[in-house]
Amino acid sequence: MDDVAAAGQEAQPTRRPGPLRLGGREFPPGRPVVMAIVNRTPDSFYRPGLTWDEAAALDRVHAAVAEGADILDVGGVPAKPGPEVPATEEIRRVVPFIERVRGAYPDLVISADTWRQEAARAMCAAGANLINDTWSAWDPALAETAAEFGAGLVCSHVGPLVPRTRLHRTAYGDVLTDVLARVLALVEQALKAGVDADRIVIDPTHDFGKNTWQSLELTRRLGELTATGWPVLLSASHKDFVGETLGAGLDERLPGTLAATAVGAWLGARIFRAHDVRPTRQAVDMVASIRGERPPARAVRGLA
Amino acid sequence: MITAAAICPCPPLLARELTGQADVLPDLRAACATAVARLTAAAPDVIAVAGPDAETARWPANGQLDLAGYAPALPRTGPALPLSLGIGARLLDEAGYQGPRAFHGVGVLSAAAACLRLGGEIAASAPRVALLVMGDGTARRSVSAPGYLDERAAPFDAEVTRAVRDGDLAALAALDAELAAELLAAGRPAWQVLAGALAAAGRAETEILYADAPFGVAYLVASLTPRPRESR
Repeated sequence: MDDVAAAGQEAQPTRRPGPLRLGGREFPPGRPVVMAIVNRTPDSFYRPGLTWDEAAALDRVHAAVAEGADILDVGGVPAKPGPEVPATEEIRRVVPFIERVRGAYPDLVISADTWRQEAARAMCAAGANLINDTWSAWDPALAETAAEFGAGLVCSHVGPLVPRTRLHRTAYGDVLTDVLARVLALVEQALKAGVDADRIVIDPTHDFGKNTWQSLELTRRLGELTATGWPVLLSASHKDFVGETLGAGLDERLPGTLAATAVGAWLGARIFRAHDVRPTRQAVDMVASIRGERPPARAVRGLA
Repeated sequence: MITAAAICPCPPLLARELTGQADVLPDLRAACATAVARLTAAAPDVIAVAGPDAETARWPANGQLDLAGYAPALPRTGPALPLSLGIGARLLDEAGYQGPRAFHGVGVLSAAAACLRLGGEIAASAPRVALLVMGDGTARRSVSAPGYLDERAAPFDAEVTRAVRDGDLAALAALDAELAAELLAAGRPAWQVLAGALAAAGRAETEILYADAPFGVAYLVASLTPRPRESR
C-alpha cells in the first residue's frame, strides 16, 4: 500500500491520484464518470415512481447507457423518511433488476445504493460492483462486504444522521473539517477491511446532514476533498440545496444542478451522480475540456 | 536536380491532434501521405520543403510544427517553423523520413521571378533533390469559407489544378499574384517555386491525388515525377 500514507494530525490517508477501478472498468484521472440514478422505489423525492415499473426501469437503463452513463446507481429505498422498507423488500425490489441489467450489460458498472449489509451482499452477488453507502457506514460491515466481493465502496458523510432521517439544526464548527475527518476515517476502515484502494470513493454527500448553507460551502470548497487524492463523488442532482438556493421547485432544478456539477468538475470531482444523464455528460465533458483533460470532439473552425 | 516533387496543402487541421477526437478529412491525410511517400521512395539526397511565410527565409532543418499558437493546451515541440513548413515537417515525420531536410519560407509578396529563381536554386542544391511544395488554393470557395464566397475562386483553383496536371509550368509562372492574394490563395508563391525547380527537369508525370475544398479552402495534393532527360 505504498500509495497510501498517513498525513495530517489524525486519520488522514492521502493518495496519489490514480485510476479508479470499478468492475472491469478503469477510469483514469481526468476522465469524468457519470453515475445514472435508477430508483426502484415508488416514492423517491424526484419524479417519484418514475422507474417503479420494471419495464420502465429497464428502458431508463438503456437510455442512460446510450446517453453516456458509466455507472448505474440502483436503490430500493428512498433517502427521505417514510414507510419502513424491510431488507427483504429492498432485495425483492432491486436484486432481480440488477440481475437483468447485468445480463443485458455485462461490462456496465452497477452501484448498489444501500446501507444494509444483507441487501448489499445480495446486490453484489447479483452483479453490483460498487456499494454506494450513502448513510456513512451506519452498518460498518458494508466495508467487509465490498472487500468480500471485490467491489468498490463510497465513503460518505451524514453528520449526526441515521438512515432515512432529516437534519434538525445541525451545526458544524467547520463543515469541511467534519466531512474530511469522517470520510477519511471511513477510507481507513475500508482499507483495513481489505477493500482495494483503487475502488474507494469519497462523497461529501450534499444535503445529508447539511443545510443549504453547508452544502454550498461543500461545493465551494470541494477542492479540499479532491486534494486528498481520493476520487470524489458529487451527488447534487435536484437536491434541496439547489432548490432553496434558486427558489426552484423540484422540476426546475436542472440548471442549478448543472452549475454545481460544473463547479465540482472544475474543482476535480471525478464521479457525478445524476438523474439527467445527457446534460450531465455534456457539462462534465465540457469542463474536462476546459481543464485541458479532454480533447474537443471535433475542432475545425479556423483550422482549415 | 529534382528527382520527385509533391504539392500538399498546409491547413493546421492536417495535424491530427488539432482536430480533437475526430479524424477530420482522413482522405486528404491519406493523399498527402501517398505524395510524400513517393518523395522518400525517390532516394533523395535531401528533401526541400518550400512553403509560404511572411518573408523569404531559410529555416533550421530540425524545425518542427508548432501548434501552440493554435492550441495552447497542446504540448510545444522543438524549434518552431512557420505553419506551412511545420506541416511539411510533420508530413516528413509521418512518412518516417530521417534524411536531410531544407526548409525554405517563400515570402507571400514575392514576385514570380524571385520565386522561379529560388526554385532553380533549390533544384541545383544537390544531385538528387525531392521537393515538397506546401501551398493552399483559394479560401473563398463557399459562403462558409474563411473568406466567404468569391465566384472567381473555383475557376482560379481549376486553372491551377489543370496547370499542375498538364505540367504547364508557364501557366504557374504567370499566375496573377494580385488575384491570388484577393482570393486568399496562399500557395501562389510556392507553386511558382515548383515551376522554377522543374524548369530544368523537363516535363513531369503528374498525378492529382486530391483536389477539393471541403471547408471552402481549396486543397490540392499532387505527385510529380520529372521525366528522365534524354542524353545529348
